[in-house]
Amino acid sequence: MSDDTLVAEAIDVRFGGLQALTGAEVTARSGEITGLIGPNGAGKTTLFNVITGHQVPNAGDIRLGGKSVRGYGVHRRAQLGLSRTFQKLEAFNSLSARDNVLVAAEMSRHSRKPGQLADKILSRVGLNDVADITVGTLPTGTARLVELARALATRPRVLLLDEASSGLTEEETSAVGDLLKQLVAEDDLAVLLVEHDMGFVMTTCTRIHVLDFGQIIAVGTPEEIQNDKAVRGAYLGVES
Amino acid sequence: MKRLQIRTSLLVALGASLASLILLIWRYGADTEVTSEKIVVATVVGLTIGALYSLSATGLVVVYTTTGTFNFAHGGIGVFSAFVYWEIVENRTGPELPQWLGLLLVVLVVAPALGVAIDVILMRRLRDAPLVVQLMVTVGLMVFLLTLTGQIWQADKIRGVSFFWEGQGFSIGEQKVAWHRFANLVIAAIIAVFLRLLLFRTRMGVAMRAVVDNRDLTALNGARPGALSAFAWALGSSLAALAGILVAPEVEFNPTNLNSLMLIVAISAAAFGQIRSLPLTVAGGLLIGLLESYNREWIDLGADFPFAGRAVAPIVLFLVVLALPQARLSVGRVSNNLRPIERTTHIWEGAIGAIVIIFMGWAIARGALHFLVWDPGEWSSVSLNKGISAMVLALIALSLVPLTGWAGQVNFAPLAFAGFGAFLFLRLGLWFGVPDTGGTGNLVWLPVIGLLCAPLGALLAVFAARLSGLYLALLSLAFALITSNVLFPHPQVFPRVHTFQSPYLDVGLFRIDFDSRFSFFMLLVTMFALGMFCLVVLRRSRYGRRWVAMQDSQAAAATVGVNVIWTKIVVYATSSAMAGMAGVLWATSKSTVDFRDFDLLNGLTIVLLMAAAGMSFPIAGLFLSFQFVFEGLAERLDQTENVGFLVWLLKDFFAKFGPGLLAIGMVVNQRGAIFEMGKGFAPLLPWRSDARAEMATENARKREAEIGGLGLTEPFTSEAVVGLDSVLGIVDDVTPGAGYQHGVTRPMEQTRE
Repeated sequence: MSDDTLVAEAIDVRFGGLQALTGAEVTARSGEITGLIGPNGAGKTTLFNVITGHQVPNAGDIRLGGKSVRGYGVHRRAQLGLSRTFQKLEAFNSLSARDNVLVAAEMSRHSRKPGQLADKILSRVGLNDVADITVGTLPTGTARLVELARALATRPRVLLLDEASSGLTEEETSAVGDLLKQLVAEDDLAVLLVEHDMGFVMTTCTRIHVLDFGQIIAVGTPEEIQNDKAVRGAYLGVES
Repeated sequence: MKRLQIRTSLLVALGASLASLILLIWRYGADTEVTSEKIVVATVVGLTIGALYSLSATGLVVVYTTTGTFNFAHGGIGVFSAFVYWEIVENRTGPELPQWLGLLLVVLVVAPALGVAIDVILMRRLRDAPLVVQLMVTVGLMVFLLTLTGQIWQADKIRGVSFFWEGQGFSIGEQKVAWHRFANLVIAAIIAVFLRLLLFRTRMGVAMRAVVDNRDLTALNGARPGALSAFAWALGSSLAALAGILVAPEVEFNPTNLNSLMLIVAISAAAFGQIRSLPLTVAGGLLIGLLESYNREWIDLGADFPFAGRAVAPIVLFLVVLALPQARLSVGRVSNNLRPIERTTHIWEGAIGAIVIIFMGWAIARGALHFLVWDPGEWSSVSLNKGISAMVLALIALSLVPLTGWAGQVNFAPLAFAGFGAFLFLRLGLWFGVPDTGGTGNLVWLPVIGLLCAPLGALLAVFAARLSGLYLALLSLAFALITSNVLFPHPQVFPRVHTFQSPYLDVGLFRIDFDSRFSFFMLLVTMFALGMFCLVVLRRSRYGRRWVAMQDSQAAAATVGVNVIWTKIVVYATSSAMAGMAGVLWATSKSTVDFRDFDLLNGLTIVLLMAAAGMSFPIAGLFLSFQFVFEGLAERLDQTENVGFLVWLLKDFFAKFGPGLLAIGMVVNQRGAIFEMGKGFAPLLPWRSDARAEMATENARKREAEIGGLGLTEPFTSEAVVGLDSVLGIVDDVTPGAGYQHGVTRPMEQTRE
């Protein structure tokens, strides 16, 4: 389909004897928030790493805007519009929040004035008050928002969020949800997010992929997923 | 993992053997002959020495696998112990102490005590410290131990240690093998088996291997991490001492020589076993012993390469590090001591600073500053020379700021780049200048030298880009050793007789000469100020930000589009260009460059002082004047009054032990002296209201208990609880007013009702 900005096709990853991913397929469309859920150890983060280029798959292909990015390094994919946040916080700890965003803005080809872009994004994410504070000294929740702002500053076409809500308060989480919806609508962005907070997933996502034991077992709207027997089996351990 | 380790090591062994074979064939028939008898002799000698290398290397591995600290002081411990042995066995007057008793005393009492002391006093405080700090502290300890040994037992005095069973041995065919050497093999074999059993068959060994992975978990399982790490340090030190004492009769017995043998070879052998595998480490030690022995016997590269033999171990190290599998993009470094606002110096502040430095340089050297009763007067040419030496080192040290301070790439080879710059300058003079005098003094070439040095840095970066942390440090160490033993002693690089001319600047339109010592000193001060200003500008630019970001998290830097490898190449090239240009001035200041100038310790001293002062601050370069300031002060005091103790303190203690002690001091002050000094100094500047505010907050915090008066003098109100929750990021259902009225007392009241 032409409106699939990101396509991960038949991804296989093996760690020694362990089959982490088997023919996993994920698509993300611009203008939509796509969820990726699954029990612990299902391979969600591994799939993210394959998409961004941190992990080389044993088989499969990644297409970004219809073009294969197979064999491209992490930074090439980032320059082509793939951006992400990490499950374990990976901010530039010794830089200020503004500098974190600025480093990313300066790499973006679409921006002539990285300083302005950085300030715009900071205020949009609501980080104006802490712009000059060293990120290593900020609380985890705020540092996560800095990571989100940094990812946005590369002006991505696809944004991958690995557990964006962990460490955030309930209000912050819903604020992030609203922000994402806004971004997706305005900037024609595709968002793919891994999440454990089911409430957040069900209210934010348009489509959801369910990963279990390295395989996609269901794709659908939140309602479809909630009523899917295989998904219930995977989560509750009930045989379907 | 295991298979990969073995494959890497085999690859290196194969490469090294192949290289020696090629050299052998190349030199075949020159003036050596290969006979079976010679092969046997060389093999036996190589194996017996190699056994000692293995012993030393296993000590390094035991400490690393148990405590996670890579101990650069390993050789220093061995050297110190060997000298103690020499003192009590060979040098003692009075009743004779048998060799074996002396050996046992040192190996089982002195060395373990030293090891435990190091662990308890220093290393335990560094458990969570960044790698750079850990490295610098052990390097500082090494320098300290070597200086100490050199001070107690005058380093230049010739002395010898006798073999065990002097003169006795047995024969294999025609060849006589000394018992001492045979014993080396036996002892090494016994120790290897003992260690294997200890680590894999005893509860303690298993705990030792576990403790490095997860200290707290091991403690929960009943082990005592403190005791285990102390034991590992004791064991490691014993092994270093044993190897040091046994190797002493075989070599020139002075601290530096013994250290380079013990440490460099041990590091290479340990790297061969990937600092984990004991059998591979032993194999690495034997391999290096054999290669060195064959090299001595047959591979004579001629008078042009006088020290090529010393490069065997560094070359093995270089190969191992290159053959290692690609490190994954390193994620997250431990960040401690971060301030809420990490202020980067403004450009105008840098400009003022540069002007102040130039003015101070002029004022001090001209004697314009009087310290109340003490009028230091104008600098003599001796003082000016000292000032010049200090400033050239400071210039070289500046090159470490972007590379190590910002981008986090540990570099032990600043002098290699500086030497390369000096070499190019000399060559340029020969090609374009007056051929006979050996060099032009025209500083117009400086930018050209910088441009020419950049590719050398880029080349090292290509190798270094795949590495991180410890292996990166080891790579630069090997690079420094190879250049200082192979490249720089070669007469085509620095001819035996050459003179760097006194510098001048001739751009065609005008010409400035720096032929007086004072003008040269002022030139250097100006260059330093200029370099510092450029660094301030660079740090505020996108490149500076990107480098710091890369140090914080390579993985994250890549995901925002930073090409990590290219960025590393750029920062290495920048650093080597800076060091190369500084090297020109360094060489010019000495007027002739000798291979001894590239001694590893000289390079390490620059890195150590810089680290102790604070790698990320350009102004830290001024710390390189440390030694010269203390020596100069001592001299001046010596002339004026009779204050012997103070002179001794300044000249013999601070000036000599300073670098080592300062680096050890990083245990307490990990971000360097400048950082702490800046905290005190910044509030004095009129425009730094932020620093005054920070100081006030910090002082207020010190006076307060951690949670304030809450629960002690103030009651737990619901607002306070919610406030605490939001600070800690706890999500709770409690809303102010509805739930807890007065904290924990409420439920109890209810039960009473």
